Amino acid sequence: MDGDPAVMKVPRSSSVEVKEDMDTKSEKQATRDALIDISFCGSTPMLWKVSDMKKCRSEGVIGALVGSLARQPRQNVRLGRPLELRPEEALLLLEKEKSTAAVRLDTQDCEDEEAHSEAVRLYEAGLESSYQEQCVLALEDKKKTLNRVMNEKENGTEGSGSAVRERLEALDQSFSFPWSAMAVQLCTARSGFSHCPEERSFHSTDCPMPRDEHLNTRFSVYRDLRNKGYYLTSAGKFGGDFLVYPGDPLRFHAHYIALCVSLDEEMPVCDILAIARLGSNVKKTVLLCSPQEGDVVYSSLQWSSMV
Amino acid sequence: MDEANPANPPPNWIQQHTVYQELMRLEVGDSVQVHAAFLVYMDLTEVRKWKDVVGVSCPELQAVLLEGREKEGESVQMIYPLPSHRSIKHRELRSILDRGSPMLLCAVASDSTLVYQRLCDGFLTPDPPVDIQDQGRRQHRKRRLQT
Repeated sequence: MDGDPAVMKVPRSSSVEVKEDMDTKSEKQATRDALIDISFCGSTPMLWKVSDMKKCRSEGVIGALVGSLARQPRQNVRLGRPLELRPEEALLLLEKEKSTAAVRLDTQDCEDEEAHSEAVRLYEAGLESSYQEQCVLALEDKKKTLNRVMNEKENGTEGSGSAVRERLEALDQSFSFPWSAMAVQLCTARSGFSHCPEERSFHSTDCPMPRDEHLNTRFSVYRDLRNKGYYLTSAGKFGGDFLVYPGDPLRFHAHYIALCVSLDEEMPVCDILAIARLGSNVKKTVLLCSPQEGDVVYSSLQWSSMV
Repeated sequence: MDEANPANPPPNWIQQHTVYQELMRLEVGDSVQVHAAFLVYMDLTEVRKWKDVVGVSCPELQAVLLEGREKEGESVQMIYPLPSHRSIKHRELRSILDRGSPMLLCAVASDSTLVYQRLCDGFLTPDPPVDIQDQGRRQHRKRRLQT
C-alpha cells in the first residue's frame, strides 16, 4: 500500500488518449468497469466486492468492515465484508466519478412485507427440494460403500460379510438423513451482483443519503483533507468527527482528531476543555475545522503544559 | 494596594487595583469578563512571572485580551480569558489567531481555577511518544510509561 501522501492521484484510465471510434466503446467499457459499485442498504452506502474495496482503498477512502467472517462468526475483532462507507466517503467517490451508486432492489424491498415473505417461502421451498435430493444421493452413497465393504469381505475369508449384507438390506427402511446434516450453499461473491455495466447505469441513482448542514460541513472538510493527502477514519471513540492519519491507517498512528464545526457554531468552553484534555492523553492534536468561502480553515488545539 | 493596612487589605482590593482599573477603562467586555481577565493577569505576572503583560481591547469580541511574553526576549502571545460557563465560536478564535501570534485560551471557573489551552493556526503535529520523564514531585505524579 502506498504510504506516500504526495503521490495520490490514481489515473482513471491509462488509455485516455485520442483513439479510433472502434476503440472508444471498449474504452468506455473499461472505464465503466473501473467504477466502484456502491450499494445502499437504506441510506447506508456499502461495498460488497473485493475488487471494489481494493479500488476504494487505492483512492484513499478507508471505510469500515462490518460483516462477520463466515469461519469465525463469534467475535468482532476481525470483521469481513461488506465495507460500510460513511456518507462523506460515498459522496467523495461519487463526486470524483469513481463510482456509481446503484440501489439494490433486493435490499430496498425489506419494507415490503409481502415480497419479503414470498422470498422466504421460495427460499424454504428451495431448501426442501435440495434436502430431498441430498437424501437420495446420501442413500445411494451409503449403499455403494456397504457394497464395497461387503465385496472386500467376501473376497477375504470369513463370513462376516453376512452382517454387512443384513445391514444393506435393512438400509432402505432404516436409513435417515438428518436435516442438520444437509449441505447448504451460501452465495457470497456473485449473488445479485452480476449486473452488466449497462444494467448498472440503468439502476444508478442519486444517492439516497439525507444531506443536512452537518453532513455538508463534514464533507467539505473530508474532501479538503483528502486532497491534502491525509487518510481519514471515523473518530467516534474520541468524540470527534474524523481521525486524521498522515498515511495509510495500517501503517501510522493518527496525528489529529478533527472536529468539524461551522464558523458560527457555539461551542461550550467545557467541551473544548474536555476534548483538548482527551487529545493530550492520547497524543493527538485536536483540529477545529471550518469551511470558509470554499476553503477550509484549521486551528490546532493543544492542552498547554501550564499546570 | 492599600499601604495603610498591608496585613489586612480591604475586601474590594481588586476593584482598587491599578491594573483592574486600567482594564475597566478599556471599556470592552462585561464586568465578569474583565474580572476573569484580571485573575489571569495576576496569575501570569505574580505566579508565572511573565513579562510585559498588558491588557488589549478587542472590540470585535467585546472582550479584554491580554498580551505578554513568557520570558524576556520571547515573542508576544495573546491570551483570551473567558468565564468557563460561556460558549465560543470558531470564528472568534480565528479573529484572534489571524493577528498572527500564538494564542492561549484561558477558561476561568467560578472558583477562580484557571485552565490554559494552546491554539494555533494550521496543523500542529503532536509530540511523539516520549521516554519516561521525571516530572519532579515524584511521590505525587505517576510516571509516564514508554509507549
